[in-house]
Amino acid sequence: MSHNIKILPGATVCEDCTLEGDITIGGGTVIHPRVTIIAEGGPIIIAEYCIIEEYSTIIHKKSDKQESPPKALFIGAHNVFEVGCRLESIFGHIGENNIFECRSFVGVDVRIGSGCVVGAACCLTAQQVLVDNTVIWGSEHHIREALEKQPSQLLQLDFLSKVMPNYHRLRKPNVHKRQPSRQSTEPAK
Amino acid sequence: MAYLVQPDYVKYVCSCGQMKPITNLYFCRHCLKIRCGFCICHEVDSHYCANCLENMPSSEARLKKNRCSSCFDCPSCFHTLSTRATMVQPRQDPASGDAKVENKQPKKMYYLSCFNCRWTSRDVGIPDQPVASGGWPERVNPFANRFAQLMEYYKAIAQQEKQEKLDKERKKFAIRGNYITLTDKTGLTGAMARNRAGMPSSESTSSAIANFVLSQATEEVEELPDDYHSREVNLKMITTMPQRLASPEWQAQQVSRLQPIARPLSVKRSQRCRQCDHNLTKPEYNPGSIKFKIELLAFYHVPEVKIISYETIKPGVTSALLLKLTNPTAHEMQIQLIQPNEVPEIEEKEEPKNIEKSLEKSLNLEKDMSWKSVVERKPTLPSAIKVNNPELTFTLAQRDDAAEYDDDSHHDTNDIILWRKSNKLALRLQLTADENAKVGLPAVAVVALQYTYRNTVPPTSTQPRDHTLYTTVTIDLGIVSQ
Repeated sequence: MSHNIKILPGATVCEDCTLEGDITIGGGTVIHPRVTIIAEGGPIIIAEYCIIEEYSTIIHKKSDKQESPPKALFIGAHNVFEVGCRLESIFGHIGENNIFECRSFVGVDVRIGSGCVVGAACCLTAQQVLVDNTVIWGSEHHIREALEKQPSQLLQLDFLSKVMPNYHRLRKPNVHKRQPSRQSTEPAK
Repeated sequence: MAYLVQPDYVKYVCSCGQMKPITNLYFCRHCLKIRCGFCICHEVDSHYCANCLENMPSSEARLKKNRCSSCFDCPSCFHTLSTRATMVQPRQDPASGDAKVENKQPKKMYYLSCFNCRWTSRDVGIPDQPVASGGWPERVNPFANRFAQLMEYYKAIAQQEKQEKLDKERKKFAIRGNYITLTDKTGLTGAMARNRAGMPSSESTSSAIANFVLSQATEEVEELPDDYHSREVNLKMITTMPQRLASPEWQAQQVSRLQPIARPLSVKRSQRCRQCDHNLTKPEYNPGSIKFKIELLAFYHVPEVKIISYETIKPGVTSALLLKLTNPTAHEMQIQLIQPNEVPEIEEKEEPKNIEKSLEKSLNLEKDMSWKSVVERKPTLPSAIKVNNPELTFTLAQRDDAAEYDDDSHHDTNDIILWRKSNKLALRLQLTADENAKVGLPAVAVVALQYTYRNTVPPTSTQPRDHTLYTTVTIDLGIVSQ
């Protein structure tokens, strides 16, 4: 099952993480150790410049009403998955510039736009759609709409991709394309 | 730690009748009494901002409405806002796009951002600032004018009433006899005295009262918009009640009208015994320090009682209770358990009247003790559970930080004393619950301690160094069960 892992050049993927199923990881993305990504219900495509921190879990779950061929879970660029978060969404598309804070949980029936923030320890289980720039925070799950997208983490990404190879064994990129971009990864499904 | 996170199982009775855990009590070394936050005098020592730790004299604090000028709270979630810096390219050349323009230095601009709910000052259109702190636009209270009027009016009224009272007093004197009032004697008239004291003259107060416009109620109110009831509500755009009440001057209804809230100042308090006016606690002046210059806490002076374990309380049944007693002082302590009703009433000693005292009295400077009748009361102690006190006085060694490295030398354990360890000992007590104790009600045992206390205050010739003190303790033993 774990043969179909495509890592595009420029991605930093630590060896000590669980990747199962058909997974594509875009260039510039950093995946920390102890991350679990399981694509059992269909392929998972992670676009460029995402940060996936330790102990976060992304699962594309199998469901009964699955189409065939299975729909891919596409995670847009510049998403940040902080330590210990869990994403189980099966909706095909997760936008860009989202932040999933520490130990947040996003359940199966949640559709996520762009620029959203799921606050630390926030737990979204009910069926809902997060429109662009929604911020959820606090133990009472207050909802707010931000005016603009969250600032990007490019500096942090630069730093991580420089420092990570010094301290961790990395998985080597196995797909060689000259210009890895979203258009070129999508036909992979 | 147990005192912070657990319910208060053991409570002490304060000299004012309140029951509190030992960590909430003070001990006045001069009156030799337990005091609590309810019966002492709290004084503000200094104002400071808990975020930037800046000290502020009270006059300045009053001027700034008790708020810090450089720190802000998030109007959305009330977390402290942080200043964030961004590099901003000068705006003149939008065509250049991502390409860096060499000849234009990027400028550092600052905005406020909340790390909890990610609110930023950009969300409500506050322009970024070129300096890191300060310079944020201040909003003017729309009712500032009216507010000032009201203040002036009520000040004038207060002034007038004071004046009337003074006049009345003077009249009383005049009737009484041949006394000369101070102003008469010095040849000052009231107006001149006022002038000297820098108080507004009576003319200006009367004009302030005369010029004051009362608020008018009108019958015509602005009509609500037609779609007021039918319009769909977007909860994300409307502020919540706590958000509105956090800035009572504006009470923004729209999220887009929220403004950073200047952070309220905190105070350092010193606490004073009302009876003898000595300080009980006095913090260090530096806001960053959490230490005290004076710290007379009961925890350091009164023997501490803790529950080790107890048997379930049943009506009419004798059960066991294991207690641990600790001597926190640096002197040996003799402790005896007594019944709470055996605690002698401490009568207020009438202090010897010397000349100074009577002078004070005549000048009406004597301390106002009227608070006592208001504050003090007798606690009602439950009596359903009787502690069968052993007729035994035991000695608790002084606190010794090095003791844990020593081997314990004496072990005078017996039926009552379970074990001893430096300044602690465990007691096995017998409790008898009343036969009529109601099942399901809380079981509270009351025990009084008689203990010796050596006062380390430099003694005067009249005061003895060693005292016998009493304290009453209530012990929560769950509920009476079948």
